[in-house]
Amino acid sequence: MTDSKGKSDSFILFELAGASYGVRSQFVQQMEMVEQITPVPNSPAFVEGVVFSRGQVIPALNLRARFGFEKIPYDLRARLIVINAGGRVLGLIVDTAREFVTIPHDVIHPPHEAITGLSGDYLEGIAMLGERIVLILSLDGVMDSAAGVRPEIDAQPPAVSGRLESGARPGLKA
Amino acid sequence: MSMGESVTSTEFFAEFLDDYFAECEEHLIAARRALLSLEASVDQPQADRALLDELFRSFHSLKGISGMVGARAAERLAHELESYLRVMRQGEATLTPEGMDVLITSVRMLEDVVSAHRFQSALPDISPALERLAEISCQKTQPSGQIALAKVGAARALQNGLSAEEYARLEAARRNGLKVWRFEFSPSPELAERGVSVSAIRGRLQKVSELIHAAPLITSQGGVIFEFIIATHADEATFADWSDDGLSYDIYESPPSFPNSVNGSESMNQAPGSGLSRAPAQVVRVDLQRLDELMRLVGELVISRSHLETKLKRIEVSLPPAEWRSLQETNLTIERQLRDLREGIMQARMVPVGEIFERMQFVIRDLARESGKEVGLELSGRETEIDKYLVERMIAPLLHLVRNAVSHGLESPDERVAAGKGINCRISLRAFTAGEMVVLEIEDDGRGIDCEFVAARARKAGLLPAGVTLDEESLLNLICAPGFSTREEADRASGRGIGMAVAQRTILELGGSLALKTQVGLGTRFTIELPLTLAIADALIARVCGQTFAIPQSAVREVIEIEPAAISVLENSEIIQYRGGALPLLRLGRFFGLAGEGSQSLYAFVVGSGSNPLGIVVDRIIGQREIVVRAMTDPLVQVQGVAGATELGDGRAVLILDAAALARSLTTYRRAGGGQKKIEEGGRHSAVRGQTAMGRLKRSNAERRKQTGKT
Repeated sequence: MTDSKGKSDSFILFELAGASYGVRSQFVQQMEMVEQITPVPNSPAFVEGVVFSRGQVIPALNLRARFGFEKIPYDLRARLIVINAGGRVLGLIVDTAREFVTIPHDVIHPPHEAITGLSGDYLEGIAMLGERIVLILSLDGVMDSAAGVRPEIDAQPPAVSGRLESGARPGLKA
Repeated sequence: MSMGESVTSTEFFAEFLDDYFAECEEHLIAARRALLSLEASVDQPQADRALLDELFRSFHSLKGISGMVGARAAERLAHELESYLRVMRQGEATLTPEGMDVLITSVRMLEDVVSAHRFQSALPDISPALERLAEISCQKTQPSGQIALAKVGAARALQNGLSAEEYARLEAARRNGLKVWRFEFSPSPELAERGVSVSAIRGRLQKVSELIHAAPLITSQGGVIFEFIIATHADEATFADWSDDGLSYDIYESPPSFPNSVNGSESMNQAPGSGLSRAPAQVVRVDLQRLDELMRLVGELVISRSHLETKLKRIEVSLPPAEWRSLQETNLTIERQLRDLREGIMQARMVPVGEIFERMQFVIRDLARESGKEVGLELSGRETEIDKYLVERMIAPLLHLVRNAVSHGLESPDERVAAGKGINCRISLRAFTAGEMVVLEIEDDGRGIDCEFVAARARKAGLLPAGVTLDEESLLNLICAPGFSTREEADRASGRGIGMAVAQRTILELGGSLALKTQVGLGTRFTIELPLTLAIADALIARVCGQTFAIPQSAVREVIEIEPAAISVLENSEIIQYRGGALPLLRLGRFFGLAGEGSQSLYAFVVGSGSNPLGIVVDRIIGQREIVVRAMTDPLVQVQGVAGATELGDGRAVLILDAAALARSLTTYRRAGGGQKKIEEGGRHSAVRGQTAMGRLKRSNAERRKQTGKT
């Protein structure tokens, strides 16, 4: 949603580990309380599990874990921000989310080169709202690198299974 | 055979009873439908004969089958209903409003009785109904009434030349889509010489049509001609050139003197897929379970084919291209055919939504009567088909919406007049498909929902912050909030404020959506969208380490209890004795890395194919449920051994196990040294709590070391 001059965008702001982040509201489908997340075994650690949202089963990502912060237990202020972008629907678990702001383009700067580490990949920019720093989230970043790690249970290199099947044991002649 | 007797084979009897209840439902549906149409005949000299016949047949059948299974109360009630209908068919009684009422109440009582039999609840007292039926059957009409009947009958004979019997056949033929023609044959000596006599003509007509009526007529000149009335599918071209043989013909319009069937604004025509007009011989009643089984088999075929595809890919390098290509072509053909098969079976589960609409008619009629409102019902799209499962789940929500509309939405006649509206309220039920969805609409032209009033109520209840205005979506969510009601006390029809919540929940659970459009003074429209395709399965529900899982019942060969002492360990795998062989076990808790102690008692689902069974070990088996399978499509949560998720009624996602994948995993799992399965990235969620990124890295390194050390 941009205003007529195309010079600002609207964002949902959320808090995570003491910092403020903004996510473009056009991608936010809804916001919910965090409750009843079903863990999915053998999924990446930052995937807290799945939840039902509007009849659909979606993954719920713990952003603290994603960004490498320490995880904390949920309280009543924690929120699940349901994102719908690039054909995927995901939930992001954050500490709190209350604000809805319009940020003009000219106060958003590209991320400083000095910001490295895990967080760096997920930022689209940094906005200065007066005294306040708001980190603008790159959904592509969050979702892209979260392209999923499939546990390779089935794929056994033929050589290995062959060896095991023949019952070869160390010390025995074949 | 009475219900109290013991039966040699309980299973056989149970199946028998199932058939009985299914047949009862069919006959009751037909009776309901006929009764609604019959209403138009109240106080007419002659009730629609075909409808009376239909009702008589329904009651006769109900009497018969109830007698067979020993459902005495149902049998008696059906018997009395049949008697009353017999009396009416014989023309010895006309249909009075009281008679109509008795019929409707008695049929409703019959439904309750059958229901009580089915669910083993207390039988209602049928004696009042029996008495009223007996009384009304004995009421003969005044002699004048009978004369009136005879007069009408005679007039008809003169006018149209059709007897009541013939007229009934005519209407039946019309309903089956046949066209009705009237032929006049003028015999002459020349025609007779050619062999074209009236019997020849009769024979000719009978060959291409159903002969409904044949009679001689005296012409004004004193000659004799013959009149034939036929019903046929044949094209006009068939008899176009028969005029040479002294035949003239015309389309035959039946006289308008009889009340026509009133079935909303819809005619019972042959819409494709319409269940209403198919001749009985072409319909087969199929157990839903059989269709589910077929679906499951198709599912397995799909899996097998994908294995085939994988293997084909592997041998691509070792085959001459032409041969490989031809193999691949066959593979693709099979894929296409499987898809068609799957769709075909889905189609077989579809029923016309008209079934639901009919139930609504009854309810609306009663409610309208009770509340003194004049309600007309408009139906459209009854032939729209939806999955049978959806029909069953949607009846309650739809009933609730309809009751709401009649009790709250529609105004009393006085109010309507005061508002400048016609006295007749209108409720419209519509069904149609839109892409991948089925859309159901319930619309009324009543007073609409007053947003401001609802908002005020909500603010008072603390559900709405001050200063926020309501849009239609928020209005709907408010109305559907459990416990929220704009009535001071619950009235019988609409309950205590949870009806809408349950309705909305059901719709969402089915993967659909509910929307609301309303305008004060004009009316309200609820729009329900439901997905056309559903994956539903019977599943067994189990608990493992405090977490709930579902497994499709079709994948489970047996459920066994395991004595922990009976488990032996053989080369990193646990096995038990099972049916003369060894059954390898997969402890689901361990395999999924779930925290929490296992329980003392163990149960296992035996899955897998004949030579490769596997026991999936769980802590407890909770029960069996029919579930709607929801895909987990996001790559982040596509995990080996999990086939999707479902919801058991509390909004919490429950994972569905993929038995085949688990069976495959077991082999690999064992080879990897058994024990706890991990991935590089970071292990268990519960274990990660309270750790920094560095801490996490250290931990998984340590575990990796442990694992390699184990081999």
